[in-house]
Amino acid sequence: MNDDYFSIDAILAENQKVGCRFKIDIPDMGHLGGGGERDIAWSNTLQLPIWLVYTVVLSDWADMIMPPAFGNKVRNALKAEPCSVRLASLVGAGGLWYGFGKTIMELLVDKKEMSELLTNTFRKRLVEVIDQAQHFAALGPAGGTGGSGDSAQSFREGLDGTERELFALAQEGSKRMKRWYEEGEKARR
Amino acid sequence: MSLPPALRASVTPPELELIACQELVEIIPLIAMEKTAFISGAYGPLRPPHKARIPIWMAVNLKQKKKCHILAPEWLTVEYLQDKILQETTQDEFTKLPFRFAEISRVLLDAASDDLQNPDKLRSLLKDLREARQAKARAGLQSLEHSTLGLSNLSAMEINEIRPFFIEAMAVLGQLRP
Repeated sequence: MNDDYFSIDAILAENQKVGCRFKIDIPDMGHLGGGGERDIAWSNTLQLPIWLVYTVVLSDWADMIMPPAFGNKVRNALKAEPCSVRLASLVGAGGLWYGFGKTIMELLVDKKEMSELLTNTFRKRLVEVIDQAQHFAALGPAGGTGGSGDSAQSFREGLDGTERELFALAQEGSKRMKRWYEEGEKARR
Repeated sequence: MSLPPALRASVTPPELELIACQELVEIIPLIAMEKTAFISGAYGPLRPPHKARIPIWMAVNLKQKKKCHILAPEWLTVEYLQDKILQETTQDEFTKLPFRFAEISRVLLDAASDDLQNPDKLRSLLKDLREARQAKARAGLQSLEHSTLGLSNLSAMEINEIRPFFIEAMAVLGQLRP
């Protein structure tokens, strides 16, 4: 997740459409919405790809509608219990919720609130991510099912792409440590 | 980079073990040897029954050939470790331990467990210590910031274990700033 031009993650995170409500009439551009209308009329709502949203919003032709992935419902759920929200299912393909959130944040005037939402969510979920990664590393190759219940599994399935990477990193690190400690035990026998 | 992904994030535990084996340890030699020059320095002379300080790798080698007894460092004793565990579980900070205690203790316990007092007890104490410290590192995750992280007295092995995902997590936090 970064701003690099060549970052595949950044490109995937922007593979989203955002609703925009137009503030002006734009003649002869109705085909952009995919509909049969000839013009884009005032207060029409269209789902636009992010690269177009930048131009439209910054030129003050339209207002961005906050995508449902960051709407009030999700916010309240995150405030209540960050670990029970399935971030991956909030955003389509790839599930880069943080990446998408960062993109949206760039479009907002008041970036602070959005930043706090993302940061708090990340921080609170991080501990659970690492815990589960270490738990799975400790199980070894045989015990792939994990016995920690449905909520843990549901949490794992709902991991955002960024969290998945962290999960893999932590798991790999713990595995190496475990292997190293066990090598010693083997040598003793 | 041409390194496999597993080696990019940090060094591996066996590499750390190799580095730790450069540190010096006291031995009682059972053979006599003149002062000998190695790349890292000159060690010896070995004159039984006088003590000598030589690198761990050399001590382990001699030990395997039954040509010396390794003297445990003062921190590798049951009393010292029990004391540290008590400190570890009562204080918020990490207690001060030798920077490479995890590697050295494992190497010595593997190679020279008959020179140590109560090696099984030592092993279980070291495990307890490791778990107590891991719990603290985990608590540190909750207060992770994008720019700085203060976990003093962390040992080489522990730093190495948490490095890959702490770096990544801090990078993400940096990205999420307004």
